[in-house]
Amino acid sequence: MKKGKGMRFVGDSRINADKTSQVPKDYSEYPGRTEAFWPNFLLKEWLVGSVFLVGFLCATIASPAPLQGLADPSDAGYIPLPDWYFLFLYQLLKYPFASGDFIILGMIVLPGLAFGALFLAPFLDNGPGRRPPQRPIAVGMMLLALISAIWLTYEAAGPVDFKQIAEDNPPVLQADIEIDTEHPGYEAYESSCLSCHGDSLDGGAAGPSLIGIEHTEEEIADIAVNGTGDMPPGMFEGSDEELADLADFILTVNEEAE
Amino acid sequence: MSDKKQQVSRRQFLNYSLTGLGGFMAAGMLVPMLRFAVDPVLQKSASDGGLASVISVDDITDTPQRVDWNVDQVDGWYESEVNRTAWVFKDDNGDIQAFSPVCKHLGCFVSWEGSDKYQNEFFCPCHDGRYNKDGTNIPGTPPLAPLDVYEQEVKDGMLYLGEAKPRE
Amino acid sequence: MIQKLYDWIDDRIDVTPIWRDIADHEVPEHVNPAYHFSAFVYCFGGLTFFVVVIQVLSGMFLTMYYVPDIENAWKSVYYLQSQVAHGQIVRGMHHWGASVTIVMLLLHTMRVFFQGAYKKPRELNWMVGVLIFFVMLGLGFTGYLLPWDNKAYFATQVGLEMAEQVPFIGVYLKTLLSGHPTIVGAQTLTRFFAIHVFFLPAALFGLLAVHFILIRRQGIAGPL
Repeated sequence: MKKGKGMRFVGDSRINADKTSQVPKDYSEYPGRTEAFWPNFLLKEWLVGSVFLVGFLCATIASPAPLQGLADPSDAGYIPLPDWYFLFLYQLLKYPFASGDFIILGMIVLPGLAFGALFLAPFLDNGPGRRPPQRPIAVGMMLLALISAIWLTYEAAGPVDFKQIAEDNPPVLQADIEIDTEHPGYEAYESSCLSCHGDSLDGGAAGPSLIGIEHTEEEIADIAVNGTGDMPPGMFEGSDEELADLADFILTVNEEAE
Repeated sequence: MSDKKQQVSRRQFLNYSLTGLGGFMAAGMLVPMLRFAVDPVLQKSASDGGLASVISVDDITDTPQRVDWNVDQVDGWYESEVNRTAWVFKDDNGDIQAFSPVCKHLGCFVSWEGSDKYQNEFFCPCHDGRYNKDGTNIPGTPPLAPLDVYEQEVKDGMLYLGEAKPRE
Repeated sequence: MIQKLYDWIDDRIDVTPIWRDIADHEVPEHVNPAYHFSAFVYCFGGLTFFVVVIQVLSGMFLTMYYVPDIENAWKSVYYLQSQVAHGQIVRGMHHWGASVTIVMLLLHTMRVFFQGAYKKPRELNWMVGVLIFFVMLGLGFTGYLLPWDNKAYFATQVGLEMAEQVPFIGVYLKTLLSGHPTIVGAQTLTRFFAIHVFFLPAALFGLLAVHFILIRRQGIAGPL
């Protein structure tokens, strides 16, 4: 390709009439085993990418994306949790030194310092050395921040029973459920369960939804009498026959909901 | 010379592998998404919403009369009631006819004797489209096909109508 | 045939220099995992970009079914993942991809940090990178609400209450985000949708372009 005098153009345009070579540049004179990005290195990158994609797709197919029940602002029993990468911030605000009168500290000062320092890291750590031992303060601060973020996340997520939350909030189209108030078990439901689990079994202030549960009739009867989790025992008081009807009623509604 | 030749073939090989790998990755990403996008095209038409009772057979006369009824329509996640209309009458043989009022020209609403000028015809006000009583389009007017006919069934003295289908 | 078509176009608009400019640069030995296995840490950035591409594509396809409306949002998500072929996979890719993006982004940031690769003259690119990180967190936060299920609703409420704690402007900030001073509802959802689908991706594309141009300008940092 010529520059300046002797340049040839296509017609009256500014398109160069001399073609650029399509052969990659020769990097053999570069230090070490330098190679061309295209196609040599890109091929290796895409090999890694393919393996990554296959793994990602397998993981995606193996674990379907979770969906809980339709948002119900009146569900006071729901314990709100942010997505996992915000858990550390969520946990930080639980501590007395970062909440109440000190909320500014927890909400603005600490995260602001951390993220501000991250943003300005090149200017705070402006020495010439790049190896970690040459900049102990920067590396130390980062390790400290990492460890505390991991620890805070663990503290926030550790006591949470994610499986239980998912079980309590199954995705069910509420419109499809019709409650058969003529069912022999409905009366028992109305007197023993309705106040907590709602008049259409979709959960309420104190109890989770009873739709989408995976219990047998015996298990339901047992839970009604003996309780489970946060549910105290003795909620149901009546004859065995009423208990069987009640369990059957709950199962019937569940079958309809499917 | 031979060295150079070898280099070119190696470069070609790398380019082919690159195209193949790129295609594999694009396919892995896009196949589920494209199948997801074209799903409505591949759905078997679940149009068979069953038949709905619309009018008593005794009320049907020789003159086309307008009948309205509602059907439940499921549109993806959205369920609604939509209104259907038909022109219903008994033809000369005593058979019940139920025509869709949708003009075969551009989809306007066709009325029986909708114009004073044309007696005994279906008339579309948009572009003066005209149909005979048997629903065939009158040549020389805009419509290119006869009116659609509803699937029908008579049960217990009631006329049941389903979907409007084009004539063969 | 293809070669002829290419030559015809190339004769007219001279495309070769454009793609050669992207294709032609050298990759030094110390970042090449084929020679030093430990160089796999240099893959994190590229893989992050790959997941972002997956996110953009799957997100585009999801909007074919999704509606940002509190009456229908949940129903449309439920419909697309239970009734539409491969809906579960496409939503899965977008849902898990969000977490994978954050993980890869963290790994990439840590690699750059512990190698001190942000030092002169690469300060600007580090700052652009941190901004990309913030945009990603914003995308995660706004995208979380969109299915309008219990988890989404209550998590967003927590997030908005955090925003309210900001001194002086907190109340306004919360209203700006949620569209209403007290209700987390219809107006919140449309706002979050707009931010998630238009505003933040636009910012992300701009920042990514700067990030990549700077890498090409400055070249990759040398070995430690």
